Amino acid sequence: MRDIFARRKSDDESTDRSDETRADGGVARAGREKPGVVGRTRRALDRRFGEDFVESAPFWFPAFLLMALFVYGAILWNLVISLTDYEGFGLAGPDYSNLDFEMYVRAFNDSNVINASINTFVLVIGFTLTTLVVGLLLALLVDRGIRFENTFRTIYLLPMSLSFVVTAQFWLWMYNYDNGVVNIVLGTIGLGPIDWLGNQSIVLWAVIFALTWQFSGYAMVVYLAGLRAIPDDNYEAAMVDGASTVKMYWRVIIPQLKGATISASVVLMVFALKAFDFLYALVSGYRPPAGTDILATLMVREAYQNTNWAYGSTIAIILFVMALLIIGPYLIYQFRRDNL
Amino acid sequence: MAELELDSITKVFHDGDEEIVAVDDVSLTIEDGEFLVVVGPSGCGKSTTLRMVAGLESITSGAIRLGDDVINDVKSQDRDIAMVFQSYALYPHMTVQENMSFGLEESTGLSDDEIGARVEETASTMGIGDLLERRPDELSGGQQQRVALGRSIVRDPEVFLMDEPLSNLDAKLRAQMRTELQRLQEELDVTTMYVTHDQTEAMTMGDRIAILNEGELQQISSPLECYHAPANRFVADFIGEPGMNFFDVDREGDELVSELFTYPLSDWMVDDLGDTSELVFGIRPEDVSLVDVASAEHDFEAVVEVVEPMGDENTVHLHFAGHPDSSIVASVGGLQNVSQGEELAAHIPEEAIHLFDRQTGKVLHNRRLDSEEAVDATL
Repeated sequence: MRDIFARRKSDDESTDRSDETRADGGVARAGREKPGVVGRTRRALDRRFGEDFVESAPFWFPAFLLMALFVYGAILWNLVISLTDYEGFGLAGPDYSNLDFEMYVRAFNDSNVINASINTFVLVIGFTLTTLVVGLLLALLVDRGIRFENTFRTIYLLPMSLSFVVTAQFWLWMYNYDNGVVNIVLGTIGLGPIDWLGNQSIVLWAVIFALTWQFSGYAMVVYLAGLRAIPDDNYEAAMVDGASTVKMYWRVIIPQLKGATISASVVLMVFALKAFDFLYALVSGYRPPAGTDILATLMVREAYQNTNWAYGSTIAIILFVMALLIIGPYLIYQFRRDNL
Repeated sequence: MAELELDSITKVFHDGDEEIVAVDDVSLTIEDGEFLVVVGPSGCGKSTTLRMVAGLESITSGAIRLGDDVINDVKSQDRDIAMVFQSYALYPHMTVQENMSFGLEESTGLSDDEIGARVEETASTMGIGDLLERRPDELSGGQQQRVALGRSIVRDPEVFLMDEPLSNLDAKLRAQMRTELQRLQEELDVTTMYVTHDQTEAMTMGDRIAILNEGELQQISSPLECYHAPANRFVADFIGEPGMNFFDVDREGDELVSELFTYPLSDWMVDDLGDTSELVFGIRPEDVSLVDVASAEHDFEAVVEVVEPMGDENTVHLHFAGHPDSSIVASVGGLQNVSQGEELAAHIPEEAIHLFDRQTGKVLHNRRLDSEEAVDATL
């Protein structure tokens, strides 16, 4: 009697289990008693990569294949080229038989590369920080329930919709030494004229200023969304708790914008790394104003002007690693918060 | 600790060209250490009143005094009040410890050690001593509630303001916190203004309750007085669950006549009514008793429609015999056996009826209490 009960129980359990997989949306496994090679492999894959790995493949595999080939494959190929000595327009193409790190040694000893790396670093950090600060201040002001709030938001966001080429062209005019509007305005209060684009020590900051003008609207919108998510009673509780307006923002509101800050800064940093278009359009050529040469411009110049393909690839890999260093912590942060 | 006085407080909101009077000429005084509950239906202006006291809402006219000082123009930061919000409004990026010390850091010049000691002491009286390192999103609703309370208690303010602090808790926890809040307030002896729409909270917690409707103060008195001696029909209707039964009646000599019944009055009642003849007749469900047959002059034949057994009592919905559209609710003992469709008689005792002026809603006659002294003592 007891045996019968025990068997009934185990039967029930196994039925339960198979019901469970079906309820999950999975396909009930027909070949459960005698799994063949295909069945075994599939079950092994499912165990390793999660339920329905094989069954769901038609949905994600084509896109995965395209991405793998044209994005990650290209990066990998670029890495391989950077290990060759390929240059000039040889018909033979790169020689893959002799791979070494010669180009990397050359890059680390090249003052141009070091200089461009420093400029890239200053541009990324300087641009991101100023844009975040300006964007935050704009967001805090716009969020105070002002009149024409939507109009202001649109006005501040509009520069973002312009292409880098347009921005570069009219900042070129504005920074003009003789009749640019910047020098004219400064002239009325007795300053300047200043050679914004010709002076090596300030040209990078002039570029950062122009880029900040273009992107602080974006930072503002991200921060506004963050501010909207903070309930009003948080402000009120801080006020009743005796905090002054400045303290209220500093201790209660701004710390809650951490998420907005992180996502905005990742986007801004990536934009800063891509500032190539802006610098290219500024001079309509591969040679940006002295003092603004960044890795992106150097890379393109080496590759397409000097046809140093391998060397250009090496610089590209250095740039890629820098981008990875920025993105990596963000991905880890998102992963920890279960957003990936 | 101080007395809080609201003197003809009015708040007008502007919506385009429209003026919306949210609070209309409310005057009340909360004694030093008193627990005043402000209660009313939603949209009655109770929260706006509280927010004006907190300094979160400007005052259109009137004055708020704390102690002897008018605080109309004192900024919220400088008012020395603490507020508990309905949503708790804990700072999500701070630990419980930081949440509780924030107010002390911002509003007092206490040293870090003193603040730490005070926070710990308050936390342990609130039973949240072991949660100090946690963040609000790691706490249950009840724990967050305690932190929000602790955050205001630790400040030791002149006045506590509470804006429906229990409404986000489940029923069991709410009952428990209700008792605990009362005990705390008694211990701390801080002037407290407590806003709620829940009449159970109003009845059980307050020293006095203030009932608001459409921005106007309807009555301010002890809970029992509001219940047994309402100032007008609104108060009579709002306080009590299930609510008071109302019938429009006309007075003809010493009888109250409606299409449902004719109710003979004794001489001692007629005096209260003066020469008003359009009246509203009110009787609380628990004062209606159900008897088998109509044998006295205040018994009326009725038919049972629905019985809602609550265990300790039955709520019985009836209609008057011959008037299926009419309705009267009676609360009878849980053991009295009443079944649907049963024909019996509702006894409406004369001592328990309330009469209101149908035009103004004002009360003309309140129920007689058996021992006036006993109730007076509790008022």
